[in-house]
Amino acid sequence: MAGHGGAANPVSAVGALQAALAAEDAAIFGYGVAGAHLSGSRQSAAERYWTGHNKARDTLTAMISGLGASPAAAQAFYRLPFPVHDTASAMELAAYLEDGVTRAYLGIVAVSDQRLRTFGALAMQAAAKRAAFWRGSTEAFPGLSLS
Amino acid sequence: MLAASAAALPVLLATAGCRSSQLFAGPDPLAGPPSPSPDVITLQAVISAEQAMIRLYQTALDSGLRGGILAGLLAQHRQHLGRLRARLIVPAGTVVPSAVPSATAIAHASPSTAPRVTVARLRAAERTSAATLVRRLATVEPSLAQLFASIAASDATHVVALGG
Repeated sequence: MAGHGGAANPVSAVGALQAALAAEDAAIFGYGVAGAHLSGSRQSAAERYWTGHNKARDTLTAMISGLGASPAAAQAFYRLPFPVHDTASAMELAAYLEDGVTRAYLGIVAVSDQRLRTFGALAMQAAAKRAAFWRGSTEAFPGLSLS
Repeated sequence: MLAASAAALPVLLATAGCRSSQLFAGPDPLAGPPSPSPDVITLQAVISAEQAMIRLYQTALDSGLRGGILAGLLAQHRQHLGRLRARLIVPAGTVVPSAVPSATAIAHASPSTAPRVTVARLRAAERTSAATLVRRLATVEPSLAQLFASIAASDATHVVALGG
């Protein structure tokens, strides 16, 4: 048999989507901060990704509503994980945000609905690619904690 | 005593009007090794595909292709393989059919017959791997689906690292 490491109870689709929505909201806020410290092509990338996260938020909001739940509202302010004062820290923040988004979509992959799983997996790929862009390197297991 | 008991069992069962399959509710331990579950077959196929990918990178590196980048990506594929193998638990004697014959074919191809490995071919292989993993994660148990999704995301970043 394949080894098991998953939860005994099925993952709630609404809960997983709400977590992804929260991660997207945090990314939207964070990119606003990071973008202010970037210039040139990096700033353009940040703007493009910010727009993408807004679209993803709208998609998730519609999906949650479609399941009969109320999408959680974004926070007015988010505490940054570290001070952002230059290009390097702005890029580090962007990678941090994308890692959070990747982890959140990984939660959707654990739900029983096959279409949602595929949706989550493809969203993970997009976030992992953006994280790799900011980090300048790839990772073996995006979104997974190797404990 | 034991031999006598074993010999007497069919007689006892016949007397009682029972067959062994009617006595035990669970799987019959004397019927041979169990068939692998669908998750095992899927996992075995993913492992075979990962092995083929590693072979492809090794062939590329042996031909001196962009060593620095490829070595890093190859190391990550080896991590993928290790993690996948750790998830595979197969009872002794279980026959798991090879789901990916092309992996074996790649692994055993002689240098003279193996197609030349280019960056474009690696990129295509990574792209195919990512897409295949996403298809496969739909039906496996949740934590295995998450592992497949994570590896697929890694492969997707490899496509970009290779210029895609």
